[in-house]
Amino acid sequence: MLKCQEVELRADALVDGTPLSRRERLSLNMHLLMCRHCRRYVRQLRALTAHLRHRESPTAHDDQVQAVLDCVHHSKQTTD
Amino acid sequence: MANPDLETPEFIERLRAGDRAAFALVVKHYHPRLLGAARTMLQPADAEEAVQDGWIAAHRALPKFEGRSALLTWLTRIVINQARMQLRKGGREVQFDPTEEGAADALAHRFNANGHWQEPPRAWALSGPDALLTRDELQHCLESHITAMPDNQRLALQLRDIQGLDFNDICNIMDVSASNVRVLVHRARARLFEMVDRFQETGEC
Repeated sequence: MLKCQEVELRADALVDGTPLSRRERLSLNMHLLMCRHCRRYVRQLRALTAHLRHRESPTAHDDQVQAVLDCVHHSKQTTD
Repeated sequence: MANPDLETPEFIERLRAGDRAAFALVVKHYHPRLLGAARTMLQPADAEEAVQDGWIAAHRALPKFEGRSALLTWLTRIVINQARMQLRKGGREVQFDPTEEGAADALAHRFNANGHWQEPPRAWALSGPDALLTRDELQHCLESHITAMPDNQRLALQLRDIQGLDFNDICNIMDVSASNVRVLVHRARARLFEMVDRFQETGEC
């Protein structure tokens, strides 16, 4: 039987959808079935990573895009 | 995650052929992500400069881009290299290998000698109008803890959990092994979990 600390170390695989061997998956699921603290840990870790994903930046403003294009164009002229 | 419309072979061919509109579209969609990656290593003004230099380098190298990795991965690698060069100029070096930095798992003290929880996670309010993770104070707190992380953990977290890149791409960008990237991501998450859990208990950052 896995210890809670081992589950904490392996929980990332569950969150990331990393393929686990049948044996690994079975031992993790067995532990989670019996341990509410680890179930809570995995559930909240999933919520935390999902929240972080939503912080991803939107698209750049048109003036930012133009500034990059100007800079690339200027550098090309200098090199040519 | 990479934008699928910008990763098709037809679109990459337009880019390689010097199509300006295609390049502008790539800048529009990927500039903020590249800036996010550079900011994990540099101060904001220096990060802007590294990304700008990255775009110049990428524009020059585009005709030779073979599409062996996703365009976003390739661009991120270029920007991270620019950021490393900037750090070197300032006499700093970023070590991406987690064994060099010796930071332990931030949750290790929550377990007893038998490996069982001695201080189990608190129950977070995950739904409803006052859901913990959506509270403004917590966003500031997350921000400051991400900023305070070791550089390699912050970059791994940025690439995996904020940008959603897969582990193979992150190994490629950071030039460290898959197991080391997983260690870095785990440590970064454990720090944030510990911080959010403390915030749930005390309301303090």
